[in-house]
Amino acid sequence: MRGLLAVAIAALGLALPGGIGAAADRWFEDITEKAGVAKPHRNRVFDNEYAKIMAGYTALGASASVADFNGDGFDDLFVTDSAADGRNHLYRNNKNLTFTDVAEAAGVAAGNDPSNATADALWFDYNNDGRPDLFVVRFGQSQLFENKGNGRFVEVTKASGLTRYANAITAIAFDYDRDGLLDLFVGCYFQPTNLFKPDTPRFFPENFETANNGGGLIAYRNNGNGTFADVTGKIGLRVSGWTLDLGHADADNDGWDDLYVAADFGTDRYFVNNANGTFTDKTEDAIGIDTKKGMNAEWGDYDNDGLLDIYVTNITSDYMREGNFLWHNNGKHTFTDVSRETNTYDTGWGWGGKFFDYDNDGWLDLYVMNGWVSAGPDSYVPDIFEMIIKPGIDLADARNWPPMGNKSLSGYEKKRLFHNEKGRAFSDHAARHGLDSTRDGRGVAVSDFDNDGRLDLFVANANGLPFLYRNVLPAGPHWAAFALQGTTSNRGAVGAQVRVTSGGRTQLRFVDGGNSFAGQSSARLHVGLGDAARLDRVEVRWPSGQKQTFENIPVDRMIRIVEGRAAFTALPAPTAATTSTTGAAAR
Amino acid sequence: MRRFGLHCLLAAGVALALAGRVVAQNGWDADAARLEAAVAASPDDLRAGNDYRMAVIVAARTDRNLVKYDRAIAFFEKLVTDHPTAANAHLNYGFAYVDKIPAAGAITQVILANNALGAFTKSLDLRPSWIGLYTRGNSYLFWPRIFLRTKYGIADLEEALKMQNAEPKRPYHVRTYVSLGDGYWKMDDLPKAIATWKDGLAAFPDSAALRDRLAKQGDDLQKLIDDSYDPSKRVDTSLQDLWTNQ
Repeated sequence: MRGLLAVAIAALGLALPGGIGAAADRWFEDITEKAGVAKPHRNRVFDNEYAKIMAGYTALGASASVADFNGDGFDDLFVTDSAADGRNHLYRNNKNLTFTDVAEAAGVAAGNDPSNATADALWFDYNNDGRPDLFVVRFGQSQLFENKGNGRFVEVTKASGLTRYANAITAIAFDYDRDGLLDLFVGCYFQPTNLFKPDTPRFFPENFETANNGGGLIAYRNNGNGTFADVTGKIGLRVSGWTLDLGHADADNDGWDDLYVAADFGTDRYFVNNANGTFTDKTEDAIGIDTKKGMNAEWGDYDNDGLLDIYVTNITSDYMREGNFLWHNNGKHTFTDVSRETNTYDTGWGWGGKFFDYDNDGWLDLYVMNGWVSAGPDSYVPDIFEMIIKPGIDLADARNWPPMGNKSLSGYEKKRLFHNEKGRAFSDHAARHGLDSTRDGRGVAVSDFDNDGRLDLFVANANGLPFLYRNVLPAGPHWAAFALQGTTSNRGAVGAQVRVTSGGRTQLRFVDGGNSFAGQSSARLHVGLGDAARLDRVEVRWPSGQKQTFENIPVDRMIRIVEGRAAFTALPAPTAATTSTTGAAAR
Repeated sequence: MRRFGLHCLLAAGVALALAGRVVAQNGWDADAARLEAAVAASPDDLRAGNDYRMAVIVAARTDRNLVKYDRAIAFFEKLVTDHPTAANAHLNYGFAYVDKIPAAGAITQVILANNALGAFTKSLDLRPSWIGLYTRGNSYLFWPRIFLRTKYGIADLEEALKMQNAEPKRPYHVRTYVSLGDGYWKMDDLPKAIATWKDGLAAFPDSAALRDRLAKQGDDLQKLIDDSYDPSKRVDTSLQDLWTNQ
């Protein structure tokens, strides 16, 4: 079948890109304007004596988070702004690749004020009622909004107990203790100084490689009654680095999710879940002690070996050649960095990176955001290094840092779309597909916004317009998507693993609770099948530990599976107005 | 040149192996103390300092203990404080910083490299030498162009070339041609780079480094030179050539 397709395409004189043949060279279309989501992010401008210095180091806060908040079967988007008068956006999917900003009506627009700046957002069903709630991550006081199910949200921050002041930059949610409830993990960049009115100048990183004066992370256990308890120290997660991202996954397939902490100015941390409600720091054994600038913690099985690997971005430039990490999972909580061998080492100044299969060939590709500050032609690099080499300089003191002004630092860097070459290496196809913008990318959210079986992309850029890219991959490669609902497990099935066997290979996907920097992707699991026109076997391992296996599941369909139910539901095929079909579990 | 390169490697290898055996047999602290005492007894002895540094590299590589580099740096710092006019002590002090660079983080690498340059400069201020000029000139080439230091590297290497041209030819003099050509290349003066590499090849027809450069163009040449100045790769700071290739 694939051979015939290739011959046909070759006969037409068309390009044959890696993996699957195509009838057009460019498989992504920029629909930002016509989709109604062309509203820019703006950085926070601080109004204090350190403002000129802080401006260069707080170019953060552009993020995008996906969830089907209204349960209509189409993924919606929450997109952040960071300016003091900036309003956050809740883009309701109109089911035709246009969106309507309903943030004001929903009551979730007010994420910024003179004392708080939005940095990220996370959808998670904190009260396990089946409706995704919204956690707005902020420098200052973060916000929790309960989804009332009628298009309205109500802020429940105080009632939930999530009132700890923090300069939070990221958040994920997963059920670390497997009690059926989603717990919340908040990564904090600066220590909990009031950045808007600092009472000390010493709130910058104490050094560039082993800084331990950052905000660390906060772990909140879900009490099951609408409140949370801070259990950070109790469960062994006390860290003091400059956290930029958190990523969870079950690294050793023992049924308990482990945790990767990506930290700026120092060592990333790897925590093993002890299967008893606590974690152990296994950094040294698992990944070693690094001195880099970790900014992303994304998990995915890029080589289809049944173990989830990790992609971490760092800084790679002519003045600082750190290189990204692609941590290949060797099993037993040990990893090997294969970024050089796989061509994912150098993306520039990296930010969010997300695994997804854009060409449905059955191998996870990778889209990576890059670039720090794109401003004037002069570089800030000499200024910063002049500071660094001053003997005895107190780097923690913000007053010692040079203002960036209108200078650039690793600016105008292209985003990278790494096509997975069958798990062995990656090749950059960003330019070919028009995904190589040089805006200062931060987060990427992946979703099939039009439910057509092709994964689309929303890109959040700092201080700039975002991008919404529609995937227009030519028809041919098959796919399947899975919407999971927990019963004993948390309703959103976060942490559930699906193993899909087709065409002689098995692919592993899992429901993540917000992994990757400044981006939360769809909770639906998308699996490219290439030319395999049938699914031989689908195994679901729920967070509760229960396993279900299904056979005879149709391809090119969205499949809804509810924990413990023998039957699955195949939703209508995207191009035909058919009714749902049902099937049954094999055992 | 191939013979020279092999000789270099062998010499360095023997030195490292010997140093490694010493460490394994007696424990690092005792051996470090002994080597440090030898250097302290002859602070301007380039070779004694070199032997100590090579032993540090082996020991640190064996147990991945960066503290050993810090001990060496501290030792040479005290040495130059106690013997401020010992030019070769300053040179070894600079090399001690360079030795730690591949084991350090990206920012610390900059600090170490900058400190090394300061020590090399002090050594040259005290007593200009071919090895001092070549070393400092080559060090400047590791700095990304944005720091505007390449021109200083070229100036040092041109001076080193003049100095070596006034001396009997030594096998290690080939290094100046390689680095100077690289410096010109970094300044986008490809004709001058090629001319320098060709001059070098005329004088040292066995030089693989020069042949490689002259055989490559464009991106391939860039990759070769970028790889040569990658701070994460260990620079061979052994000075063994100076007394084994007379």
